[in-house]
Amino acid sequence: MSPSIGEKLSIRAMIYVAGEQVPFFWPMRSFIHHNPLHGLEHLPFADAVEKGTHLFHASGYLPRTAYQGYLAQGKIDKDALDASVRKFCTTRQSPPGLDLPRWLMTALCKTGRTLAIQSSVADPADVRAALADADLPDRTELTAAQLSIKIRARLPRDMPLYEIVDALYGTSIGLELDERVIQACLDFFDEGQSVWDMPERQRGFFAAWKDLAGRDVKSTLKQLARARSSTMDADAEGAIVQILQVLGVPMEEWSGYFRREVARLHGWAGFIRWRSSTKNYYWAQRYPGDLVDLVAVRMLLTLTLLRKRRHRRLPTTFDEIEQAITSKPQEMYLRSEFYGPNLVPALAHPVEDALLRRNADLLARVFVDYRAHKRRQEASVQAQRLTDLATACQDSAGLRQLSAEGIADLLQALRAFEKHEGMLWLQAMEAKSTQDLVKGISLAPPPPREKRPFVQALFCIDTRSERIRRHLEGVGDYQTYGIAGFFGVPVSFMELGKGSENLLCPVLLTPKNLVLEMTAAAPQDQAALSAVEKAMHELKESVLTPFVTVEAIGLLFGFDMVGKTLAPTAYNRLRQRLHEHKPATHLLLDKFSREQADSIVRAVQRAVIVKAVEQEFRLEPEHITDDMIRELRESALGHATGSPGLVAMLGLDGEHEQAFIERLRTDYRIEPSFAKFQLERLGRIGFSLDEQTRFVVQALRSIGLVHNFSRFVLLVGHGSASENNPYESALDCGACGGNHGLASARVLARMANKPEVRRRLRARDIDIADDAWFVPALHNTTTDEIHLYDLDALPAQHLIYLDRLRNGVTAAARLCAQERLPSLQTGAAELDAAQAARSARRNSMDWSQVRPEWGLSRNAFFVIGRRSLTEATGLDGRAFLHSYDYRLDPKLRLLENILSGPLVVAQWINMEHYFSTVDNERFGSGSKAYHNVAGRFGVMTGNLSDLRTGLPAQTVLDNGLPYHEPVRLITVIEAPFEHALKAVESVVSVKRLVRNGWVRLLIIDPETATRHYYDEGEWQLSPHHDHAPGTKPEEPVTT
Amino acid sequence: MLIGYLIAGFFLPLFPMSMVFNVVLRRLPGIAARSLVLLLWPQLGLVLLATLGTPVPSWLGAWALATAILYGIRALSLRDLSTWIGFIAVAAWSLVWVPAAVTDQTGLLHLHALSFSIPLILLTVLGFGLKERFGAAYAGLSSGLARTVPRLSSLLVITVLATIATPLFPNFFTMLATITLVTPAAPSMAIAVAVVWLLLTWAGARLLQDLVIGPPFPDPKPDLDRKTTWMHGSGLAVFIVIGLTLSGSLL
Repeated sequence: MSPSIGEKLSIRAMIYVAGEQVPFFWPMRSFIHHNPLHGLEHLPFADAVEKGTHLFHASGYLPRTAYQGYLAQGKIDKDALDASVRKFCTTRQSPPGLDLPRWLMTALCKTGRTLAIQSSVADPADVRAALADADLPDRTELTAAQLSIKIRARLPRDMPLYEIVDALYGTSIGLELDERVIQACLDFFDEGQSVWDMPERQRGFFAAWKDLAGRDVKSTLKQLARARSSTMDADAEGAIVQILQVLGVPMEEWSGYFRREVARLHGWAGFIRWRSSTKNYYWAQRYPGDLVDLVAVRMLLTLTLLRKRRHRRLPTTFDEIEQAITSKPQEMYLRSEFYGPNLVPALAHPVEDALLRRNADLLARVFVDYRAHKRRQEASVQAQRLTDLATACQDSAGLRQLSAEGIADLLQALRAFEKHEGMLWLQAMEAKSTQDLVKGISLAPPPPREKRPFVQALFCIDTRSERIRRHLEGVGDYQTYGIAGFFGVPVSFMELGKGSENLLCPVLLTPKNLVLEMTAAAPQDQAALSAVEKAMHELKESVLTPFVTVEAIGLLFGFDMVGKTLAPTAYNRLRQRLHEHKPATHLLLDKFSREQADSIVRAVQRAVIVKAVEQEFRLEPEHITDDMIRELRESALGHATGSPGLVAMLGLDGEHEQAFIERLRTDYRIEPSFAKFQLERLGRIGFSLDEQTRFVVQALRSIGLVHNFSRFVLLVGHGSASENNPYESALDCGACGGNHGLASARVLARMANKPEVRRRLRARDIDIADDAWFVPALHNTTTDEIHLYDLDALPAQHLIYLDRLRNGVTAAARLCAQERLPSLQTGAAELDAAQAARSARRNSMDWSQVRPEWGLSRNAFFVIGRRSLTEATGLDGRAFLHSYDYRLDPKLRLLENILSGPLVVAQWINMEHYFSTVDNERFGSGSKAYHNVAGRFGVMTGNLSDLRTGLPAQTVLDNGLPYHEPVRLITVIEAPFEHALKAVESVVSVKRLVRNGWVRLLIIDPETATRHYYDEGEWQLSPHHDHAPGTKPEEPVTT
Repeated sequence: MLIGYLIAGFFLPLFPMSMVFNVVLRRLPGIAARSLVLLLWPQLGLVLLATLGTPVPSWLGAWALATAILYGIRALSLRDLSTWIGFIAVAAWSLVWVPAAVTDQTGLLHLHALSFSIPLILLTVLGFGLKERFGAAYAGLSSGLARTVPRLSSLLVITVLATIATPLFPNFFTMLATITLVTPAAPSMAIAVAVVWLLLTWAGARLLQDLVIGPPFPDPKPDLDRKTTWMHGSGLAVFIVIGLTLSGSLL
């Protein structure tokens, strides 16, 4: 019987909920940093890490030895660590005669491995005996029923059947299943990488795959249909219900089952989930597929693969598994040991032998022998570890005097402590980082200026901007500000020559306005080089041509390879010269009036009708008159009944005339509803004057720049440049949706330079001097170069200052490269600034360079406040700096905007780096060296793997050790406490992040010179003293 | 005569007599005893064979090839290194019957057997090294050796390559010589020898995949010291040099 609609909806709902735990995976063309545990942010950080690590089989903290390394380098506050340990001990019963805090601190700081092993056979009395070198006490063996319970406890209730079979029978059904699912996903979700498309994709993932699936899957479908005396349900939900019933999964376990299934390939699941929930995504609209399809594919393959192994007498339902555990507990126990991670190595061979023979007597003998051996081994290993700890603690006598109960207490305490130690290390590391940051913070107001700065430059809040800002401020009279890289203007941007829109804003926002890039230059013929490149590409992509052309033109690719490898800088310059340069462009920024929009639609309709007449009647342009076109248009729109001009010209009869007009309506879309649709589309283009004024006001107010404008106001977007790097967009501007920030800079500059906008700004108390000019620029974060744009619009009187400006940014760029390069390549510390800049440029052009730059690695801080707060200290490219002046924000709107947008994005970035560092294989994406692009939207390791979702090892690790220092985002707000607190409390998402410990929040109140730190559910108050260089220490305030 | 051949079949193992060798090898406790058995076992068989006179009947060659294929296939799924060594030894030594069916150069046959025995002895030594460190030399249990004990795993890789007759090692020339010798008389046997070679290579690759590749062992283990590494490496180098020196006569 087919499942009812209610059942199907219930399946869909359960899978939807199961998918919530998996973070979205955005296509890598516009890489979006995200928190891999985003779905668990409703939980406190520690709980979420525990749950997430279980779900994704990952680690949530660094290994102890890594933290010990940080401790040795002074990057962890030992006092804070000690205090945490003491606090932990207050909740535990201390074993008699032992100084538990000292033991635990020793365990943390002087031992490198787990001290309380997961013992399944030996008990504390055995450990006691092993410590005394005595025989283990006598003990009765478990009964069959007790053993069955133990085995069941090893198999979680929501564990998929194939995982249980793999765990008990050593099969690799899970691996095979994953491989086939990945293959299916690659075929279906491909976005143009494959030469041959999967057929029938428009029918949906499950339907299309089912038709192409192998003979084994089709055989399963037939068997199911026969067993049910009906045809197999064609849709995904029906298939899922039927298969769950066949496998014998209890209905109350379905949700958990789906959760495990979805999490198994969480990269693919994240991509499918994002894709199916994104409106207007071309590929999703054309080829729909969602998590229900994915689960259906997995279920059908599960059943198929299990049935294929029936000849090996493997259980294929939960009932059969249950029966095996109940009737043959010893065999099942040995199986779970042999195929599990805790096998006693010395007995591997006899256990395998007994399992292969399946002889009950032999199994019973081996079982007894194995348990005894395991008990001895566990007791001995545990005793040795406790002895090592006691030795490190210099308290061997204390250990020796412990009774079995004392050892039980000690082991219990160690076990609980080791479960939580990651959090203690993390908190102590954050404490030290916070102290270092606070030391550099100065509340002293900046000295008054006699004249306006030479240049004011607005940079993205990105951590990489901190360095260049510092150097720019150092080389001359430059005043810098930090603002989200989209400059507060969400734009959908259509670049010249591109047919699709790029959303230039954080993914939290959806732009309403479209900006087009246009050029006045006449269309040019395709450059010869481009034509050759296209031909080469097609030759490479074709299925057959490589076989016949490799000898003929293979050498050409060789020249390319030699050039790119041996002399990347010179070779790339040569190539760039051969390429056609992009012409000067303008942005279509202003909204059309109703009349203008009507006129455009009319013009488009006329052009279409002209083409239609040319094609249908083979008329030459000189025979097509304006009157004829007007008549046809009016008729198609229903305002007239025919076109006498056309009839007269061609001698058509009424029937043919009406047929053509009908074709104009149906085929050429000349009809009122489509005209209305076009008008709506045109309505998206550009910004009204009010909108432009609002965005400029918001941008300037949010950073506190409302007076004393310089002659040059640079709006510096940022982007990266690297070769052969699928992760290139991960190095671009996150606030611009993983794109370059130049277009956003150009948009705001155009708005702010507009006289009408400036007039309106004056009415809102922002008086921009007439000679102040907003200049868009792009900071290339790989080379640190800053390029100025739209200089053709620069007023003539500014040109004489342009050299000084160029010299300033060049000097800052070189100094920045000099500071940054030693962390990228050995020997770079010896380079002067110009050499460092050249090396950085080479990195950006070297196709073999797996780490063109460190990107946002080592990010740790988010500072919301005036520049003077951190101006006197170098933050080593670790801080997001958002300018903010609370005095301009009495209604808190600006701060709320900063918290709800930039801070949330920064937290995603921070968490992505955190988790990619602590477990690069599971949360990160492993080494780039093994990556292959999949379907043009992601990367896989090797030729078949889960989509790699996090950051590659080369971004966060250096020689296998963490380069990024994984701490939660330490956020500082400079504002009166009540002011900041009110803003935080009013932004629900941020309030949740702070309260659950995903963000560490520190409010520095400049009016009372106090610090308020949110820790463990309460605000801790302390006075703030200025220690930053050049500031005068203040007297502490009374709190 | 037949009984003599059957007795020789214990030492140049033919199934089912081969099971005796595997039982003996498994029960021997130390490196020295096992090495001695691996060195002398086939040589005893060859001495016995010499007393019976060569060439041997061709049906024995077919029996030997069936044995080699059987053990080659079985070695594909073995995880215990010491058992693997025993099975590969059986597969390799049984191949000696094949040239013995077409040639009477007993000296050459002794070298053939020796060329397989030596890498198996070196592998036995490494197997004990693994057992000391990980409790067992068992594929899949102690995976990721390359990152845990890089020196030991390097030697392991080279020694397994030597065992499965990759170029430059003497048994590579042994296999070539065997194929060259039997091709004129019995091309089908030459093909069967090539199949055995393929199986040995496959078994070796699987073993290495399960031992060497993968995430590192959770508990760090001591690697081989430099001196032992050099000694073992030198042993392999000498083995290669001897093989290259003698390959002219082998071919």
